Amino acid sequence: MTAPVAGADEARANAQPTPAGYDFPALTGRVVDTANLLSVSERRRLSNRLVDVEKQSKHQFVVVTVKSLGGHVIADYGVNLGRTWGIGRKCFNDGVLLIVAPNERKVRIEVGYGLEKALRDEEAAAIIEQDILPHFKAGNFSAGISAGSEAIIREITQ
Amino acid sequence: MKFRAVIAFAAAAMLAGCGLNSVPTAEENAKARWADVQTNYQRRADLIPNLVSTVKGAANSESQILTNVTNARAQANTIKVTGDDLTDPAKMSAYTQAQNGVTLSLQRLQEAYPQLQSQENFKTLMNQLEGTENRIAISIRDYNAAVQAYNTRIRTFPDAIGAKIFYGAKPMTPFEAKAGAENAPKVDFGGNSN
Repeated sequence: MTAPVAGADEARANAQPTPAGYDFPALTGRVVDTANLLSVSERRRLSNRLVDVEKQSKHQFVVVTVKSLGGHVIADYGVNLGRTWGIGRKCFNDGVLLIVAPNERKVRIEVGYGLEKALRDEEAAAIIEQDILPHFKAGNFSAGISAGSEAIIREITQ
Repeated sequence: MKFRAVIAFAAAAMLAGCGLNSVPTAEENAKARWADVQTNYQRRADLIPNLVSTVKGAANSESQILTNVTNARAQANTIKVTGDDLTDPAKMSAYTQAQNGVTLSLQRLQEAYPQLQSQENFKTLMNQLEGTENRIAISIRDYNAAVQAYNTRIRTFPDAIGAKIFYGAKPMTPFEAKAGAENAPKVDFGGNSN
């Protein structure tokens, strides 16, 4: 468990205060599964994968599931969460968040400005539509998160 | 000697407390955020020609809705607001109106061609447009926060002293996308299709 926590500490170096009206989970690692969609082994596997990706590409990718968006639009929630956590290297703004809110039935890929060229809006939309949603619609959150993460990794490491 | 140093320190501290540095810093920050807003609107403007030609090709006709989009874009492109214009509410409102005209014409376009939603090219452009609208919304919020910080600073003690004496600082205008959006349709298109 040491690697993800170290990553979280790095991220906190450029963290910002939580904006008013938001209730964010704590950044406990690269997989923050507060909605309990993943099994322990799946969480660990994904977490290790994200550590490897970051070592290789230097881009920080965090997967987060939340029980509630607190009434916010997922796009606003995502931007503010990314900023609050300080995902990605500050000088490159190259963080990526995959946010899953099962109760509101919302998914979003939040991309730092520095990675927009690697992971474009239409690519992110295609990943959600083709890789993630079919699994989610079948009730398999774990498979959707896993397939979506792999697709995002493919885009940001190529 | 020691006494003089104390005075120098005290004077420096007093000047720093008068907003000599903090006022221009806040001002530059707001201007930089404004530049982001403009960049994102420009990004949207750059998407439009491609969008229009895609729709034109798919629908095999040039409708009034498409012409409206093109006109709204052309009109919005003529209005530029530089960092120095941010204290001018009239200019800001003209800019807002023009951009809202584009927003509205794009909404009409999306509503008018539901059959295009299944087309790959159109879908890609729509995703890009949606992402750009998101970026616009974020940059407007950041700009408004920066303006609020600046306006508060130049009006509150002790920074107000330095702001007034050294810079003649005027309050900047926040971006009010919502208020203008209600007015935009009547001003620009009137909803008539001729």
